Amino acid sequence: MEFSRRSFLTAMGLGTAAAVAGCATTSPSGSSAADPTGPVEGDITFLCALFEGATGKETLEGKLIKQFNEKYPDVNVTVDYTDYGSLNEKITTGLASGLMPDVVTLGVGWIPPFAFKNAIAPLPESLATRYTYEERVLEPSRFDGKLYALPMVLDTRIVAYRKDFFEEAGLTGTPKNWDELRDYAKQLTVKDGGKTTRVGFDPFSIDLRQCWETFLFGNSGELFSTDGREVLFDSPEGVASLQLFLDMMADGSADFALTTEAGQPTTLQQGTSAIMMTNNSLYVQLQQQSPELVDKIGTFVLGNTNPAMLQGGTMVSQSATSKHPAAARAFVEYMGSPDAVLVASEQRGSVPAISDLKDSDYVKGNPMVEFAITNLDKARSEGGTPAWMEIREKIKPTLETAIVGQQSAQAAIDQLAGIANDAIARL
Amino acid sequence: MAVVSAPRDVSAPPVVPTRSPAPRRRRAGAARRRAGMLMVAPAFLHALIWIGIPVIAAFVLSFTHYDVLTQPRFNGIQNYVDALTDPVFRRGMLNTLVYAFFTVPVAMGIALLIALMLDTQLRARALFRTAVFIPQVTATIAVALVWLWIYDPRNGLLNAVLGFFGIPAQNWLSSTTWAMPSVIVVGIWQGIGLKMLIYLAALQSLPKDVYEAASVDGASKTRQFFSITLPLLKPATFFVFVTSVISAFQAFDLIYILTDGGPANTTTMMTYEIYKSAFREFRVGYACAQSIILFVFLLLLTLANRRLNGGDSGRH
Repeated sequence: MEFSRRSFLTAMGLGTAAAVAGCATTSPSGSSAADPTGPVEGDITFLCALFEGATGKETLEGKLIKQFNEKYPDVNVTVDYTDYGSLNEKITTGLASGLMPDVVTLGVGWIPPFAFKNAIAPLPESLATRYTYEERVLEPSRFDGKLYALPMVLDTRIVAYRKDFFEEAGLTGTPKNWDELRDYAKQLTVKDGGKTTRVGFDPFSIDLRQCWETFLFGNSGELFSTDGREVLFDSPEGVASLQLFLDMMADGSADFALTTEAGQPTTLQQGTSAIMMTNNSLYVQLQQQSPELVDKIGTFVLGNTNPAMLQGGTMVSQSATSKHPAAARAFVEYMGSPDAVLVASEQRGSVPAISDLKDSDYVKGNPMVEFAITNLDKARSEGGTPAWMEIREKIKPTLETAIVGQQSAQAAIDQLAGIANDAIARL
Repeated sequence: MAVVSAPRDVSAPPVVPTRSPAPRRRRAGAARRRAGMLMVAPAFLHALIWIGIPVIAAFVLSFTHYDVLTQPRFNGIQNYVDALTDPVFRRGMLNTLVYAFFTVPVAMGIALLIALMLDTQLRARALFRTAVFIPQVTATIAVALVWLWIYDPRNGLLNAVLGFFGIPAQNWLSSTTWAMPSVIVVGIWQGIGLKMLIYLAALQSLPKDVYEAASVDGASKTRQFFSITLPLLKPATFFVFVTSVISAFQAFDLIYILTDGGPANTTTMMTYEIYKSAFREFRVGYACAQSIILFVFLLLLTLANRRLNGGDSGRH
């Protein structure tokens, strides 16, 4: 057997065609939504970004799935655990290989991109009224008027402050707008020999993208038009939101270098900030790391012209290509039920997505979760365009260019708008 | 009794065999080739399936708009135009060059120095060799986590040591000034082990008689190093250089854990941008084009190095 150049090239060409065809045939594009009728049985996989660690695994598999199997004994659920950092990769490789999990957890803002490309199946509208939801909570689960996911847990970005520092500075009440925030932050900043030992305000300990979005919404700005085809964040409100951080850095009341390091107590806990942007899970962290500070830390919703709280979270969705759609649907419905939602929220210190749970012992016993759940009417979500997955990755590094002084706030926002417009044009 | 034998006709033509040996040799050659091909076949198939087809598929996909969710759409050279005009990818290219420029020669120099020191009758040299090689075999995740602690601005070792000498603390990984040098230092430290090992192996195979002759001729140790050791190490240097450049251009895990490409893209690399395009942004066609650009980069660098060094044959 001899390989001629021609036969070699032919073989490689055929191989390539097969590879490309393989990619194409595994694509769910154009596939109809998985039919959920039929017997609830079969092996399904669950790509899960919740229930971290051994405790989480025990909770999910030892409690929740066992409970699910009592009702559906013929369904075998295999869990693929991941975290938000790797969730995208898992989904991408799953889609490319034709091994998309039957049920997936997705983040806020992710529904439009996946629904637009028919990767996830629509759910019946009746599931939206099965339990009580704030409409703001359900908003990120919808695309094109259809429901595609059930919200499980919410992670809200709120403002936390040290009551003892406020008292020392003679400050009563919390800032109502940006002018007051700047004024408070200046008064709360402490310098020792020219070196800042405490910043008045720490906006940088959460993801810069989410921080800026919170301020954008609080300044009555919007990310995109309702149909997700037009960029709206390049408005004066969007630029002013970024400029606020630059101004606070310029007057010394915020510092890009003075932030919370991964795995470390927050700047608020360390006393190196007096006000900070944080997540509602801070309460669990306080209980574990600094119980003496539990009563010394308060929270408020900030806005300039419109109080706004950013609402992230985790939703559960059904793959459009599931081979056992009835089983997948049943599992989605179960994971969106109060039983699973409450357990998932407790495990992470998150806000349960179902409003009926606001009277639960868990919510009553966690002041930050209770604070978030009572302010859900002010909640705003990121995303809103099918091009979100591409745009979201560019926001933080582009905004950072302004924060580190490489370009102005206006130039950074213009650059970001250009990137977003290009991404939308590629849809 | 005399035995008279018939005189041997030396000029007589050799007896022509009924079957020529040439076809037999050909058959034997063909059989050897078949056997050779059979032996090579597993490796060839492995390379074809896991390297050849993906490489060609990546090349084909680089001319398409492919997002995994929908079928690829041919878009000509648009991905290449986008990549070459994308300021972040261009920044990644520059950062990769800077990273390679500093990590490769510095790590090679240090590795050679350590190899020279360990190629002596040093006490406990096996222990030293192991110590130098350990970073190479330690998981990058573990390495990066240790360095994250070293670089921690508040509780890190580095700032604590600097503070002891009265030098102000730095925000090593969040500062646009210090982030890249910090990553480079880790890259150099991690890469020394393997380079040292290759140099050490090469040093131990150098002919001793050349050094003896040089000593007899009165050549100093320094002269011997520059006139004998370095030239004889040329093939090893070529190998170390090429593999180090490729490794530097593929730097990913350190960036992923230490800086996430930030702040403000100051430590993003070509590989990191490729990863982000494919797995975070679902722009697989675009990521393929970025990969091809990286491949061309590496190919040109290797060819240039081969030309500059006169190849890897070791002739000098």
